[in-house]
Amino acid sequence: MKLLIVEDEVKTGEYLKQGLTEAGFLVDLTHNGLDGHHLAMTEYYDLLILDVMLPDVDGWRILKSLREARKEVPVLFLTARDSVDDRVKGLELGADDYLVKPFAFAELLARVRTLLRRGTTPATELNMSIADLELDLARHRVCRNGQRIHLTTKEFALLELLVRRQGEVLPRSLIASQVWDMNFDSDTNVIDVAIRRLRAKIDDNFGLKLIHTVRGMGYMIDTPDGDS
Amino acid sequence: MRRPTSLTLRLTLLFSAVATVVFLAFGWIIGHSIENHFVSEDASELKIILQAVDQSLAGPTSQNDLLRIKQRYDDILVGHHGALLHITDASGKTLYSSPGLDLSLVPPPEQHLQGSIQQWNDTKKNYRILTQQIAGQSNGPYTVMIAVAIDFHLHFFKEFRRTLWLMVVSGVVVMGLMGWIAVRQGHQPLHHMVDQVSRISANQLNTRLSPDTVPTELTELAVSFNELLQRMEEAFIRLSNFSADIAHELRTPVTNLMTQTQVALSQARSATEYQEILYSNMEEYERIAQMIGDMLFLAKADNGLNPPNAVDIDLESEVRNLFDYYEAWAEECHVSLALEGNAHVNGDRLMLRRALSNLLSNAIRHTPADNCVTIKLNRDENQVLIVVQNPGTPVPTEHLSKLFDRFYRIDPSRQRSGEGAGLGLAIVKSIVETHGGKIVATSNETGTQLRISLPL
Repeated sequence: MKLLIVEDEVKTGEYLKQGLTEAGFLVDLTHNGLDGHHLAMTEYYDLLILDVMLPDVDGWRILKSLREARKEVPVLFLTARDSVDDRVKGLELGADDYLVKPFAFAELLARVRTLLRRGTTPATELNMSIADLELDLARHRVCRNGQRIHLTTKEFALLELLVRRQGEVLPRSLIASQVWDMNFDSDTNVIDVAIRRLRAKIDDNFGLKLIHTVRGMGYMIDTPDGDS
Repeated sequence: MRRPTSLTLRLTLLFSAVATVVFLAFGWIIGHSIENHFVSEDASELKIILQAVDQSLAGPTSQNDLLRIKQRYDDILVGHHGALLHITDASGKTLYSSPGLDLSLVPPPEQHLQGSIQQWNDTKKNYRILTQQIAGQSNGPYTVMIAVAIDFHLHFFKEFRRTLWLMVVSGVVVMGLMGWIAVRQGHQPLHHMVDQVSRISANQLNTRLSPDTVPTELTELAVSFNELLQRMEEAFIRLSNFSADIAHELRTPVTNLMTQTQVALSQARSATEYQEILYSNMEEYERIAQMIGDMLFLAKADNGLNPPNAVDIDLESEVRNLFDYYEAWAEECHVSLALEGNAHVNGDRLMLRRALSNLLSNAIRHTPADNCVTIKLNRDENQVLIVVQNPGTPVPTEHLSKLFDRFYRIDPSRQRSGEGAGLGLAIVKSIVETHGGKIVATSNETGTQLRISLPL
């Protein structure tokens, strides 16, 4: 997967590039809108990450040119200003997502993966599994090692999210938004408690621990050997 | 829109216009009555002469005694300055004609004008002429024409008229000028007020105009202006405090980060130790980021940039969702959650959810173990009431009104105990106010109540 980052803030750009490269993406980085515009129009990318405010050609212009050239590559905007007008403008121009600085890197990574996955994997599967954990989505049933485990609706939704995106670190804000539809930061440790409870049911009685805490970033479900 | 004309100019013009009308009317009345007076004076003089002529014609007239007749009519005219007489008998023979003017040149008046007075002028002089048929004794009827010169009157009248016009014009000018001075003078209190107001600068917002020292018409203005100053002062103080608070709140985490990083760099450490430091930094950063986000939200709300996207909201299900979200955490804190009543309200779903979430997490945090947080929903004719109530140590009265102030904490030493930046309730208040509602806090032995009322 090849990404292009156009970010005039040098440090931000470098860190984003490092982070995304380490997450397994091929990343091109430019620090000005003109080069960004040129690269976006001539090279092939799976996703663009654009800063809205650039000194020469701003993010809106690049997006506009892309859409006019009928290039449907997903675009994620980064902005320091969070105004309704900006959001509306971005969506009208055909931006796919929008992140307000400062943001957590885990959040960015999760959104990048969501955008890349969009349209490729239809979410119609009825059963999901990881190691010896099995989820029956139709009947809302969970089994581990053949043993039925009883979960509440929200616990099931949380586990489903983790399993659906196994191997990915999910930040707390993303979990809160996807499972409880709470789209704002809470200053409580609600998510930690919910994960702890889910762990008690899923992991505590089993030798192999599946739910992992990634300090400072969030949670993920994974098997020790990585890709499963 | 065009700028309205200056008040001074307006009033001066109005004064002048009124003065013009009054003076013109006055002048017209005076001129007219003087003219009438002259006319009637002339008329009475003509009548007196006519009477004398009438009498003399009534007596026996000797045809031959022309000299005596002439003498008699001369006598009649004596004492009447500039009067002329012309008498003809029925045969058209001139009986008497005053020297100087040949009245036979005067066109005879129309029949119906007999006995009336007409004005006539030859090339030099103006006359008022009375023409009358008198029966007389013999050779009658006689046609008598009496004329008086009126040039003297006319001349006087012309002069008078000129003076009158001069008086009217200068009267108007003087009135306008005096009106202008009066208006300027009358506006003095206003200028005084402007002076006072223009001296108020940002750090003198506690200055007030004294409504008792201005004219009654301006009292209202002074009072409204004072109220405006009051509001501005409050907003200004809040803003200054807010900036000071921001500086303070940011300084703490930044100091932590700096110290920690400097200490970390002061000697070589193991990778795990570095990792620990980074994690700890991460937590500080998150706090700062959240604070920035919250402040941005508040700043936008202050500037009216968060227009509520109003939809019908079932508060009961919203609260149930929040209970769902907070349930596990509340259980860990050994706090139970209860909901009473239900209500619908028109409002912004995201914002109200955020407000309720802040209230709920705040209540759970301040509830002692094995107690219950209760949310009551209620509605009457014109408002929806949301009451969040939790048992706990009562909040002292002096803190209650400040609970919703930004960065306000009852106990300043508790500020770093991981309960956010102290903006949660300020955000609640801001959201409630954006919806046109009110929030009030009460507290007593049985617990603390936060009561929101939203208009329907």
